[in-house]
Amino acid sequence: MAATHAEYVKQLIVLLEDFTQDWDHEFEGKMTPDTRLLGDLGFESIDIIQLVVAIEEDISKKKVPFDKLLMKDGRYVDDLSIGTIADFLVGFV
Amino acid sequence: MTTKTLFIGMDGCTFTVLNEMTRDLPGEGVTMPFLAGLMAKGSRANLRSTPNPLTPPAWASIMTGVGPGQHGVFDFIRAEDKGGEVYWTLYDSRDVDSEMIWSIASRQGKSVAALNFPLTAPPPKHVNGSIVPGFIPAKHLRRNSTPGLFERLKEAIPGFDAKELAWDFDNEKQALEVLNDNDMEQWVRYHLPREEQWFNIAEYILANDKPDLMAVMFDGTDKIQHQAWQFVDPNLVPAEKTDFYNRMRAVCREYFANVDRYIEKLVTLAGPECQVFFASDHGFTATVETLRINAFLEELGYLKWAANDGSEQAIRREASDFANLDWANTTAYCRTPSSNGIHIRVSTKPGEPGIEPDDYVPFRDKLIEDLKTLRNEDGEPVIVDVLKREEWFPGQHMERACDLTLVLRDNGFVSIRNLKPVVIKRPSPAGTHHPDGIFMAYGKGIAANGQVDRLDIRDVCPTLLYSLGLPTPSDFEGKAAEPFFTENWLAEHPVKVGKATVGGGEKAKAEDMDEEEKRQIIEQLQMLGYME
Repeated sequence: MAATHAEYVKQLIVLLEDFTQDWDHEFEGKMTPDTRLLGDLGFESIDIIQLVVAIEEDISKKKVPFDKLLMKDGRYVDDLSIGTIADFLVGFV
Repeated sequence: MTTKTLFIGMDGCTFTVLNEMTRDLPGEGVTMPFLAGLMAKGSRANLRSTPNPLTPPAWASIMTGVGPGQHGVFDFIRAEDKGGEVYWTLYDSRDVDSEMIWSIASRQGKSVAALNFPLTAPPPKHVNGSIVPGFIPAKHLRRNSTPGLFERLKEAIPGFDAKELAWDFDNEKQALEVLNDNDMEQWVRYHLPREEQWFNIAEYILANDKPDLMAVMFDGTDKIQHQAWQFVDPNLVPAEKTDFYNRMRAVCREYFANVDRYIEKLVTLAGPECQVFFASDHGFTATVETLRINAFLEELGYLKWAANDGSEQAIRREASDFANLDWANTTAYCRTPSSNGIHIRVSTKPGEPGIEPDDYVPFRDKLIEDLKTLRNEDGEPVIVDVLKREEWFPGQHMERACDLTLVLRDNGFVSIRNLKPVVIKRPSPAGTHHPDGIFMAYGKGIAANGQVDRLDIRDVCPTLLYSLGLPTPSDFEGKAAEPFFTENWLAEHPVKVGKATVGGGEKAKAEDMDEEEKRQIIEQLQMLGYME
C-alpha cells in the first residue's frame, strides 16, 4: 500500500538527518514539513541531484519523475520544503 | 588471499608526457624512476578511446568492455529532448546499462576494490568488496561509498580528510577556464594532497583487504594537464624559460614524482605474483583555438538563442554550460561543450518543433556539408571529421548519442557560448583530450615487449578479467590484450570466452520498469566547466 503524506515526511526527515549529518550548515532546529532545502538546510543544486538519488534508493525504491516537482512552467523552482516533496511522493510513488 | 591484479587508472595520461617523465632529462633527471623500470620490463600500447574521448563514456567502456552505444553513457550530463523543453541531469551508476567489472568479478567469487572511478555512485549493487566513488562532492561521499567503509577509513587512516579527497565542483570548474599565473599554480597544487588521500586509501585497502582486483584511479593527471599542458608538453618548451615557467614545471614534476611513489608502494605491496596494469581513458594534446559551435549554427540558420529577460535566473542560465536556446526555432544544436556533438531536433508529432522525420537524412547531409565549410583565419578547416552516430555508436543506446560528433583539427572541445567570432585563437595552447591514451602491463606472465600495436579501450576490461583467471563475456566488444603476455603464460592460461554478462548493469538493478523512468530530473547549473 502506498505511504501517506505523514509517513513520507517521517521517512524524508530520517533520510535528511543522515544526508546532512556531515555538513557545515547552520540549521540546528528539528526538521519539520516546513523545513526548506535551500533556505534552511543550505542545499546547492548538486545536493538536490544527490537527494533525488537518495530518495529513489532509500524511499521510493524506483526512479520517480522528479522533473514534475522541480520544474514549474519551464523553470526550476526556487526552493522545496519537506512537505512539498512528501506531497509529490504521495502522487507519484 | 593475495591480490592477483592491480589496476592503476590515470585519467588523461598520455605517452607524450609519460615518456618524458620516465627518461633522464638534462637538469631534471628522471621524474618517475620506478615507472621507468616497470616500462622497461613490461609491455605497453596506445589505447584508442571512445569516439568522443571523454571521461564518463571512456571510463564506462573501461569498466564494461563495450562502447557507449551499448553501455549508454555519453557525457557528464544526461539530457532528453521533449519537444518544447530539454531536461537535464547527471549520469550516475544507474545509467550504466552494461554489467561492470566489479559485478562480473564479484559474482564469479572474486573480491574487488574500486577507488575514485566515475559512475560508481551510488555504489554498484552485488559487489564483493569496497567502493569509494570518484567525482562525488565530500558532502555525499559517505552515503555513496560501500556501507560502513567511509567510517572505517576515517577511523583507520591518519589524516583522512573527505574534503581534501573529494571532488569540489567549484574548483573543478576551473579546469578549462583561463586562470592567472597564481591561480594556475594553486590549481596544480590543489591536486597534490587530493592524490595523496586516494593513495592512502588504496594503500590501506590493499594492505588490509588484499582484494583479488585492486583498482584505483588518479585523476589529477587530467586536471593538471588541462591547465598546465604547456609546462609538460615537450613540444612547447620555450626558448627562454621564465621564473613562472620553472615554478609550474617544478610543481607538475612534483605531481608526477608523487604518483611514481604511489605506484612503487602499491606495486611493492601487491607483491611479485601480481599483474599490474595501467590505463587512461584518453590522451592529451594541445588545443590552439576555440570553436563557438552554436554561434556557427546560428549563422547557418539552424538555431536561435533564447531571449534573456534580464532576470537573475535568466542570467545564471545564460552563464551555465548548457545550451540556452529558443527551442521552437532550433533544428540543430550542441548541448554541452563536452559532448563535441550536434543534436538534430526531429519532430515526433504534428505541431512539434523540429524537422520532419522523412527529412532527416538530407537535412543531416546538408548540415555535414555546412560544417565542413568552416575555416579559421588562416584558411584551415576547423572541423576535420563529422561522425554519424549509427557508424560510431552502434548498440541499444545509439539513439541517445549525438546525431553528429565533431572532430576538430586540434582535438579541442567546442564552446557553446553566444559569442563571436565563431573561431578564435587561444592566447596560449591549452590541454585537450587526444583519442590515444595509455595501456601498460607489468608483472608475472607479462612480456617485456615494449611498445606493441594500438589497442582499444574496450580491451581493458577483458584484459583485467583474464588476469583474474576469468573468461571474456561473449557479449563484450573488446578482447584480452594477448600481446602483453608471455607465450608461456598464454599457453598455460588460454584466453577463454565465457557466458554473456548478466542483466543490464546497474541500470537494470535500479529500475522499476516504470514508464516514467525515462523522464529526466533536473538542470545541473554547476556542472563541470568545459568552457573556453
